[in-house]
Amino acid sequence: MALAEFLAELDELACEAVAAFETAGDADALEAVRIKFLGAKSGRLRAVQKGLAKVDKADKPTAGKRFNEVKKEIEEAFARIKFATAEDKLHLQEEIAVRLDPTVPGVRPRLGHLHPITQTIEELKDIMGRLGFTLAEGPEVEDQWHNFEALNIPADHPARDPLDNFYMATAEKVAGKSPSQTPPTTGRLLRSQTSTVQIRVMEQLRPPVRIISLGRVYRPDTADATHYPMFHQIEGLLVDRRVTMADLKSVLRLFASSFFEDDVHIRFRPSFFPFTEPSVEVDMSWHGGWIEMGGAGMVDPNVLRAVGYDPEEVTGLAFGLGIERICMRRHGITDIREFYKNDVRFLHQF
Amino acid sequence: MLISWNWLKQYVPLDMSPAELEQRLMMSGLNHEGTEPLGDDLAIDLEVTSNRPDCLGHIGVAREVAVLFGSELKIPAVDPPEGKTQVDDLVKVRIDCPDLCQRYTARVIRGVKISPSPPWMVQRLETAGITPINNVVDISNYVLMECGQPLHTFDFAKLKGAEIIVRRPRPKETIEAIDHRIYELQPEMCMIADAENSVAIGGVMGGAQTETARKTADVLVEAAEFDPVSIRNTARALNLHSDSSYRFERRVDPQCIDWASRRCCELILELAGGELAQGVVDVGRPVPRREPIVLRFSQLKRVLGIDVPAQRVREILVALGNTETRADTRSIEVVPPSWRRDLSREIDLVEEVGRIHGYDKVPEDVGMPMVASTRTKEDRVLSKVRHVLTACGLDEAMTISAVDEPTSRSFSPWTDAEPLRSLTPVLRGADRLRTSLVPSLLAARRTNEALANPVIELFEIARVYLPQGSELPAEEFMLGITSGRDYPALKGLIEAVIAALGPAAGLEAAEAGCELLEPGQSCRLQLDGHLLGYVGRLREQSLKRFELRAPTTVAEVKLSLLVKAANLIRPYVPQPPYPAVSRDLNLVVDESIRWADVAATVRANCGQCFEDLQYCDTYRDAERLGPDKKSLLMTITFRSKEGTMTSQQADQLRDRIVTACRAKHGAQLR
Repeated sequence: MALAEFLAELDELACEAVAAFETAGDADALEAVRIKFLGAKSGRLRAVQKGLAKVDKADKPTAGKRFNEVKKEIEEAFARIKFATAEDKLHLQEEIAVRLDPTVPGVRPRLGHLHPITQTIEELKDIMGRLGFTLAEGPEVEDQWHNFEALNIPADHPARDPLDNFYMATAEKVAGKSPSQTPPTTGRLLRSQTSTVQIRVMEQLRPPVRIISLGRVYRPDTADATHYPMFHQIEGLLVDRRVTMADLKSVLRLFASSFFEDDVHIRFRPSFFPFTEPSVEVDMSWHGGWIEMGGAGMVDPNVLRAVGYDPEEVTGLAFGLGIERICMRRHGITDIREFYKNDVRFLHQF
Repeated sequence: MLISWNWLKQYVPLDMSPAELEQRLMMSGLNHEGTEPLGDDLAIDLEVTSNRPDCLGHIGVAREVAVLFGSELKIPAVDPPEGKTQVDDLVKVRIDCPDLCQRYTARVIRGVKISPSPPWMVQRLETAGITPINNVVDISNYVLMECGQPLHTFDFAKLKGAEIIVRRPRPKETIEAIDHRIYELQPEMCMIADAENSVAIGGVMGGAQTETARKTADVLVEAAEFDPVSIRNTARALNLHSDSSYRFERRVDPQCIDWASRRCCELILELAGGELAQGVVDVGRPVPRREPIVLRFSQLKRVLGIDVPAQRVREILVALGNTETRADTRSIEVVPPSWRRDLSREIDLVEEVGRIHGYDKVPEDVGMPMVASTRTKEDRVLSKVRHVLTACGLDEAMTISAVDEPTSRSFSPWTDAEPLRSLTPVLRGADRLRTSLVPSLLAARRTNEALANPVIELFEIARVYLPQGSELPAEEFMLGITSGRDYPALKGLIEAVIAALGPAAGLEAAEAGCELLEPGQSCRLQLDGHLLGYVGRLREQSLKRFELRAPTTVAEVKLSLLVKAANLIRPYVPQPPYPAVSRDLNLVVDESIRWADVAATVRANCGQCFEDLQYCDTYRDAERLGPDKKSLLMTITFRSKEGTMTSQQADQLRDRIVTACRAKHGAQLR
């Protein structure tokens, strides 16, 4: 091949390539043009390079030099155009940014919500944990020993009335006898308080004991704004040498101060529960008045004896609080039934 | 218990304001429920706990006031003038059921004139919430509200055979009570009968036949003591609760029985005239003697946390009616009064001293020794599960533990046994303790669908109750979910929960075989060979059964297995500082080949360099792949611990995997 012919082909390629780069509309088109001319396998420059071998040997240095010049020229043109395109794009983006509405919300993931009762329980557990109380669990379906007898509630006690408890049907009960005629003394029932767990723990452990029991309890109340046949209780128990009512008051004060993030005071009003003596209703100071917290007392010696403890050796304090009531007060919920309706809109408020 | 301010004044000076009185009573055990002005009187509503029946009368409350304010209690002396006729000559009394009636006393007044009560008595009764009837009936109610001892007055002339027999009812016996309703009597009830018929339901309500009415001239005054359990059962069985039954259920003061009878007679003579027969018919057990109780002063500090001076202890106990029988520097021995049957142990006296001395003296700022408390593994696992689920957009629900019978049958994958039943439904027909959370969650879903709530993603962590014959049921913590996402998404969510707990054992899946769930869109999960739970989409008929419209998926997972398998504190594994290389693989296999088996082969052939295997998709095309064939698309990620992996090394591993899959599962690379 004549040198002139080769050089002409090179020049033509250079012109075509630069023109093609300049007219390429966007990055994709530019890339296509690059492949067409500069492609490593089948680009036009590569094809022309093959022609270099056919040039007379004497002309080869000239032809080679010129080829490299043209190659460089095309590559530079590509780089220049590419840079320009990128810059344009940037300008374009800036223009769009000016038109964007920054108040349009982002794409937000939907987070789930814990039930308000769980949130309250978690907080109560946390506080009691800091006071050294360890969580204990026990069954919800109980026998009479743990729900009554060991708690100093003897067989003829009104608290065992079938109308005040959910007794379980047994085979013969299903067969006929009406429940109202025979107050069951051996049957099972849904626990009416979480004190049952305290008995189970004390039966297993020697003092000192410092536990909270917590969970669902059941009492036959007609469901209304303030009653539900199922609710949650948290109960604390501390048995050791030298435990007194002053400790009880102090634990409750620390507890209430932590929960309500305020320095509250505790007031005891005498009351009656079979499993504690003395028994008290607990109030805490709140906004200049007193509000009811729950029931408490010193563990009755009969209860200590029932689990094999010596009441001459150890004393115990115990208290119980209704979780729904605490949660309702905390969030201003006015109907306890809301907790068990599970309306997603309700759950999402907390 | 409604207390009349004016009436109370008769027994104890009331120099304090009503507010102060209410406050002091509340702080010593009689909770103040409210106060209503009535004319020139106040009706003060006090809550009396079941251990204090002595406060179910004005004198009992006055006694508390006298103790609290250090004032004198004045109990009227009663000494009604008696006639010549001996009461024994007029009436005979016999107790045939001493287990149901401990004591029965009768007095007889002849020649009374029935008329309305005087205004002062009417006012007091009305303040105490009692409707006046006639002078004789009102007097018995007045004495009841005065001292807490229930009384009954019979029209003596109508008692056949001039005889009182306290007995159990005859078979099929009925009685018309003074409320003019007929009551069918049951064998364990205590009846007051004359020579022929029952004339009163002992301790609960009188009979219509013998009630004192306008023409009554002679009355028999009954003052008795009945067995508390029998009274409670009778009142409940007949659904007949009266002021009398309320007090007998809580036990009356045995010492007061005769006082109340004489007081009643005195007032009748005063307001209705007549002549009282001499003496009293008093049958049954005499007043039991009370055992002395020793209170060691050291016990006060030991229980109350405060010292109470011995002199103050003595004052309190004596003011409350205890008789001091012995005392030294370390203890005091007292005999409790007859009206305080709740006092029988040392701890009872500790409480008495504490409540009167005042719990406000107990400090609220004592230091307690610190002890370590630990969170249980179960507590930590449940908390983690909750966090993963809320992060995935699920809301926590809480549903009641009992369901009705059809609901209990709708889904019970954990047991075939009949669920436990409560004798009374926990809520509207719900008398079965649930064996699965899923039906309850589907009901909650329906509630939300009815409200047109757009996103219903609910989970619950609660127990199910799996019957175990005569044992207490197995109470298993379950995680229940109902979701609007599709089956693979919900299955993935369960996988994510499990992965967060990092169990060593792998999760396995098999066909669910549940009637509730779509066969091709559900599975049963196993962990270390144990049934872990179910995930799946509800079939069309299941949706209908639960009255749901939108496609629904559910899952239930046994949390005890996860608690056991959870690996909460993970060991550190150093991560190699070299880049990962991944290869996509598209393997055509027979339909019968399962992903889990192919995945196991892939993993087994990666050697040391395996990092991750992602399932991408399953592709089916009878024309291109052939019938009964499917193509499994996956991405395998390799990373070497020794150095940067080259393309060639990655390709070699891929080829080894393909060869192994071909040999083991007949897989073809596509």
